[in-house]
Amino acid sequence: MEFEPKLVGFLCNWCSYTGADLAGTARISYAPNLRAIRVMCSGRIDPTFIIKALYEGADGVLIAGCHPGDCHYQEGNYKALRRYKLLKRILPEYGVEPERVHLEWVAASEGEKFAKVVNEFTDKIKKLGPLNMKQSIFDSMKEDIVVHESAGEEKGGEADEA
Amino acid sequence: MKLKVGIYWGAACGGCDVAILDTHEKLLDIAAKMDIYLWPIALDFKYDDVKKMEDGYLDAAIYSGAIRNSENEEIAILLRKKSKVMIALGACAHLGGIPGLANFYTRDEMLKRIYIDSESTINEEGVIPLESWNVKEGELDLPRFYNTVKTLDQVVDVEYYIPGCPPVPLQIYSALSLIWDDMLPPVGSVIGAGDKALCESCPRVKEEKTISEFKRIQQVLPDPEKCFLEQGLVCLGAATRSGCGARCIKSGVPCRGCYGPLDDVPDLGIKMLSAIASVLEPKEEKEIDDVLDTIVDPLRTFHRFSMPASILRRKKE
Amino acid sequence: MKRIEIDPITRLEGHGKITIFLNDEGDVENAFLQIPELRGFEKFVEGLPIEEVSRVVPRICGV
Repeated sequence: MEFEPKLVGFLCNWCSYTGADLAGTARISYAPNLRAIRVMCSGRIDPTFIIKALYEGADGVLIAGCHPGDCHYQEGNYKALRRYKLLKRILPEYGVEPERVHLEWVAASEGEKFAKVVNEFTDKIKKLGPLNMKQSIFDSMKEDIVVHESAGEEKGGEADEA
Repeated sequence: MKLKVGIYWGAACGGCDVAILDTHEKLLDIAAKMDIYLWPIALDFKYDDVKKMEDGYLDAAIYSGAIRNSENEEIAILLRKKSKVMIALGACAHLGGIPGLANFYTRDEMLKRIYIDSESTINEEGVIPLESWNVKEGELDLPRFYNTVKTLDQVVDVEYYIPGCPPVPLQIYSALSLIWDDMLPPVGSVIGAGDKALCESCPRVKEEKTISEFKRIQQVLPDPEKCFLEQGLVCLGAATRSGCGARCIKSGVPCRGCYGPLDDVPDLGIKMLSAIASVLEPKEEKEIDDVLDTIVDPLRTFHRFSMPASILRRKKE
Repeated sequence: MKRIEIDPITRLEGHGKITIFLNDEGDVENAFLQIPELRGFEKFVEGLPIEEVSRVVPRICGV
């Protein structure tokens, strides 16, 4: 079975969510992998949300906001851009490919662009493969357990693996 | 009746124990209120003494240090069983602390560097510690060195946290006095610290923050009156809990977050990343990149004390 | 062979354990000092900015 990535999209209420809505009302078909979450502004997207999404099972996170200069709250999208840029820099240190987080400006009139962005992002993550963050972190700790004296045999066996 | 208390250290430097001693004459008050049943740094009790206690015999166990190996975890589990209240003392037990920086590496990378590659080591046979081995007289064993450093509350239930690296001695005293005055707050609370960000209690003058370049502390002579962040020096005060009395800042170095995140903030480092990024001046991609290039080693700065307590906990292998 | 374990050794900074083996006459046959603690500053100060190293290494020993 082909890998179908789970993607989380944080879409700003004023442009990108409306853009996604337009893609829907215009009956443009695009990859169904994105779970859209509406936020009031891309500037509301705390990097904690993104990290949490990756941890909880997302294979990629899409951030979409108004084009520069178009922010409903003047500056929110610039903040989003800076956070995104800094977050991308630290992801490799977590062992996560920075391409898994992507930012795109999508205006309310850009239904087609939204569909294209989602399709391209889905393809990109398909190529990268699953992230499995939570599982891999727990797997990396599976040797980190207290071995009690009563389980003497187990002790020797596991020590060899470790 | 005097309280029965056990004090223990896991992967720690002893600074937290010394901070208890640094309460100076207040130590006499502590001694008047508490009998100590385990305290390796100062008193001669053995693990067997603790094992022989009935469950719940101790009123409180105070555990400093991270969970770095199986012995740390075993003693944490033992003390949890023997005591009514478990208190994490200091940044290592609370957040993972400095030993938690090891979570950027695997166990094998750590051992290779420590026992084989380090410049001061001559180890031609490549000997690394084993969990057990046989000498002709019998079997010897050592704890298992973990792949991932954990915080205390990742291995046992913890009632209270006293943060800091090290905790401020008077804060330890006031936290301990909550026990004997029977004034303990709801389980899970951070005690002996403030509930606002450090910036609130920082004496430096704070104005508008717009940063166009980050500097390293050796490259500038910082203005002692002005906010570090406004001078382009990365300071974690905005995301860090108050209670330390801004001791680093008063000594002329920026905050590194040892008091941990505020209530309901799951990840200090990522929160700080968010705060720092939002106060940059530029709006163009290229210029933003130029400013970000001047932040040296961002993740290990933001997660200096809190990597094991952060959402992702460690580097993915 | 009798075995005596002193665990932990106390009133010092750090962790330690002493294992002593006694022979049938009750004399010490062999004794081992073991250090069951390791944090690995050797590794995680690698690549750290130089000005930060001086803020990390004091945590080797806080006594």
